[in-house]
Order: sequence, then C-alpha cells, then structure tokens
Amino acid sequence: MIRANGLSKHFGEQRVLDDLTLSIDAGERVALLGLNGAGKTTLFRCFLGLLGYDGRLEIDGLDASRRGRDIRARIGYVPQRPPHFPGTLGELVEFFSGLRGVDRDVVSGHMDALELSLATHAAKPVRALSGGMLQKTLLALATAARVSLLLLDEPTANLDPRARRDFVRALERVSGGTTVLLSSHRLEDIRAVADRLLLLHRGRIVFDGSFAELEASAGPTPTLWLTLTAAGVERVAARYESDPRVERLRRNGHRLGLRASPTALATVLAEIRAADIEIHDLRTETASLERLLNRYLETDDP
Amino acid sequence: MRLFVRRELAEALRARWFLAYSAIFLVGGVLLIGLGARDTMLSGYRGYARALVGLVHFAVLFVPLMALFPAAASIAEERENGTLEYLLAQPVTRGEVFVGKWTGVALAVVASITAGYLLAGGLAVLRGVPLRFVLVSYGYLLLLALAFVSLGLGLSAVSETRARAITVGLLGWLALIALGSLGAVAAFVRWGMPAEILVGWTFVNPVEAFRLGMVGLMDPDLGLLGPVGASIAARAGAAPVLWGAAASLTLWTAVPLALGATGVLRRREGA
Repeated sequence: MIRANGLSKHFGEQRVLDDLTLSIDAGERVALLGLNGAGKTTLFRCFLGLLGYDGRLEIDGLDASRRGRDIRARIGYVPQRPPHFPGTLGELVEFFSGLRGVDRDVVSGHMDALELSLATHAAKPVRALSGGMLQKTLLALATAARVSLLLLDEPTANLDPRARRDFVRALERVSGGTTVLLSSHRLEDIRAVADRLLLLHRGRIVFDGSFAELEASAGPTPTLWLTLTAAGVERVAARYESDPRVERLRRNGHRLGLRASPTALATVLAEIRAADIEIHDLRTETASLERLLNRYLETDDP
Repeated sequence: MRLFVRRELAEALRARWFLAYSAIFLVGGVLLIGLGARDTMLSGYRGYARALVGLVHFAVLFVPLMALFPAAASIAEERENGTLEYLLAQPVTRGEVFVGKWTGVALAVVASITAGYLLAGGLAVLRGVPLRFVLVSYGYLLLLALAFVSLGLGLSAVSETRARAITVGLLGWLALIALGSLGAVAAFVRWGMPAEILVGWTFVNPVEAFRLGMVGLMDPDLGLLGPVGASIAARAGAAPVLWGAAASLTLWTAVPLALGATGVLRRREGA
C-alpha cells in the first residue's frame, strides 16, 4: 500500500524528513506518533502528493510525485481542523462528494452508520455544527468514496472526550479492511485503532512495531520503590549506588527507587532484608507506555 | 469545474457583496449617463462624451476594487482557515482549483457589472447614445474587471493570509492609478522619449489601458490625449488604441490565469 524509500524533505536548511524508509501493507492499521515538528504532517502531505520530496514514494503502486491526483482519489483524508465551509452541511456534502463523484445519498448512508443524520442536519450552517459532527462527516465522505487508505491527521485533537470516544468508535466501525494511518498524541485512541506503531523523531522512524514490541524493546526494567528510615536510605544508597546490577538509583525523601531487572531486584531485596534494614513499604513500578514513548522521542539516541 | 463555479456563486450571493456592487454600479452608471444624456441634449456629442469620461473615472476607481476584493480573498482565506489543504487532498489539481475559482469569481463579478450596467446602458441608448458605444464600453469594463480578477486570484494563490493578499492588491491598484501615468510622464520628460513609446508604455498599465481604450472610443481623433493622441490618430487612426487597450487587458487577464492553471502560482507550504 505505502512504500517509501530514502524519503527526504527539506524546507531551506531545515531537514523535516530524513532518509525515511517505510512500508505499510494493505489492511494494516498503523499509528504515527511523534512530537510536534517531528514531520508527521509533512509526511502526510507527501503521501497526498501536495509536496515535492527526494527519494521514492509509492502509494497503491503509484508514484506519488507523478500521480498525485490518482493517489488522492484512493485516499480519504481527515485533518485535525475540519474545513471552514461557509455554507450548510448539505452543501458541504454535495460539494466534496461531487469532487469524488460519489452520490450524496451514498454519503448520507455512511453518515447514518456513524449515527449522524444528514437529513436532520443538512440545512444547518457548517459553522453551527460541533467538531465531532464535522469529523464524522469527513470520515463518512472518505468511506463513501471507498478509498483504500484512510489518512487521519490528529482527527480527535480538538474534540472533547465524549466526541473523541464517539469518533474512535465510529472509526473502528467503518474502517474494516481499509488501510488506516492515524497520527495522534492520544494513546487511548491509538490503542483502540492501531495494531502497529511508527515513532517519528526528527524526520526518521525510530521505532516500528507493535505495542508489545515497544514494551519489550524498553527492556524488563521495573523500579522497586522502598520506604525506609533515614538511616536505611543512606545505607542502601551507599551499598547500591555503584552496583552494576542497578541501572538507576533515585532518592525521594525516605523513598528509594532501584531500577534493575526482575532477577537482580529479587537478589537486592533479599540482601537488604539480610542486612536487617527496616522496610516500611515496598512497591514496584513498570514503565508506562508514555514513558516508553518519551524514551524514544525525547532523546537524540534512543 | 461546475462544482467550483456553483460554490463561488453561492458564496458571492451569501456574502452580499454581489448585490452591493451591483447596486453601486447601477446607481453610479445611471447618474453619470443620465446627467450626461441631459448634457447631450444641450450640447450634442460632447455631452455624452463628458458623461462617459465620468463613467471612466468611476469605473477605474470602482471596477478593479469590486474584482480585486473577492478574488484576493478567495484562495488565501481558504489557506488561512485550513480549507485549502482539505480541498487539495481531494482528487483535484491546483490548476483545477485555480481555474474553478477564477471562473466562479469572474462570473459573479461579470454578473454584478452586467446587472448594474444593463439599466445604465439602456438608459444611455434611450437618450441617444449609440449602441456600439455602450456595447464596446461594456466590453472594456468586463476586460478591466477580468484583469483584476486574475491579478487578485494570482495574489491570493501566493499569499499566506487574506489580509495580506487584499493589502498587496490594494497597494498595487493604488500604484497603478497614482504612479502609472505620472511615472510614464516623468520618464517621458526626463529622457525625452518619443510619444509613441510613452503611449506604448501606458498600455502596459491595465488601468491606463482601459482609460485609453475608453478615450479612443469616445474621441476617435484622440484629441483628449493631447498632441500624442493627435499624432497617433493622424498616423494610424484610433483603431490601434482601441485594439491595443483590449489586447493589454486580455493579456493581464490571461497571463495570471495561465500561470495559476499550470500550478505555477502557489505558495510553498510549510512543515
């Protein structure tokens, strides 16, 4: 479906996409994550044939630099901000379905599937509709055109929690079989929609895999948090500060955090008990998905 | 194309500028022609010529603005509010968007001028102004409007915001009016250019080209242009002025349209 090889894009001196290589097969549901400015929107614009680039990019077997129009006919795009269409919802549907040669009634049917009635809202000015309704309309326009790729650029970023949940559910319902590439900062949306993650950092893919693979890539390094007496904190810190089994040691008042492999932590705990150090409380903490992502996205060398 | 035209016309009607411009054009045209026609009865030919000189000044001030405002706003406004990106993500080309918008805005402006001019022109014909005169002036008015639709839309295609496109358009229009003829005359005096070059240079400015065409239409001796006009009339008659003006305005219409249609007029999108 999408094949990018050595894809690069510069704006003057700024390199936004850096020799990016990527392959997405038909029917995959992929999430694209990255910090602001990582190059997500630029990558989407390249997919849509709206920007020139260096390297090779094929969508559905078509060269994106030459067949932009044909490629756009195969892509349904839902942007972060819905268009500020000056007319009514009916006129918006009429205009954009007309551009794709899709009958208005077909779009209306797809809107019904998203629990949004065109008949009820057709005469309402677009500016009077909620962001969630508009995003659903754009989704219906895309699915009604039977596109092979849904490109969703942070579609829930401006929606309230309820509208966001509705949109994600709608997306799950209507996107069956279609290749989905979703850019988002919201992990719950991504978990609901995607089964593959691409982490984009400074124009390069720094991680490509499933959620499970992301968690595994971070390594089984839980942190053991011990609540000790002041003296206990000093003794344990002195004992393990430079112990190679402990990856990281953190102090927080009477609490002491030791990050190490589960096997190492079991040994360390046994040693502390054997040393007769009083332990008031004990808990383990594993890295959250956010932390794992940050590990990739906030460092230059993951 | 049909979709774009319908959408632009619907927006023109919704924005009410279409009706406002038609009304202003109608009132201005009727007043000028009406007063001129009254003069015609008193002083013959020179009466309606004077009325049409008034119409020329009115048109030079008003028609470029009525074309420039909606055209300059058109694409830049959609870029500003994010609609353009969604539009360009559809299976259309930039050229199709440009030509579609050009056609829609042009039709709305032409309809607005026509609505206003029909009554004013009809009144003029009833008062004895030759029909040819009214029809050719109508043609020049349309060409002037279309030239500024093209210029406005071209500016809109390369501007980041609506405000910037309109500001640059207004400054350009002011420069064409204020500096066009004065600059040409200054150059003429400073470097002692031949009169024909001065007239030729004047044709480069679309506002001046329109003015020259209208003057040539109402005064075939080109006496209103002074010795330069008299010299041209003596050598080639008024026809070169009439055709030259039409050709200049047509080029001002066609060149930005062709550049926009081929996707040359585009703003580099950011990251």
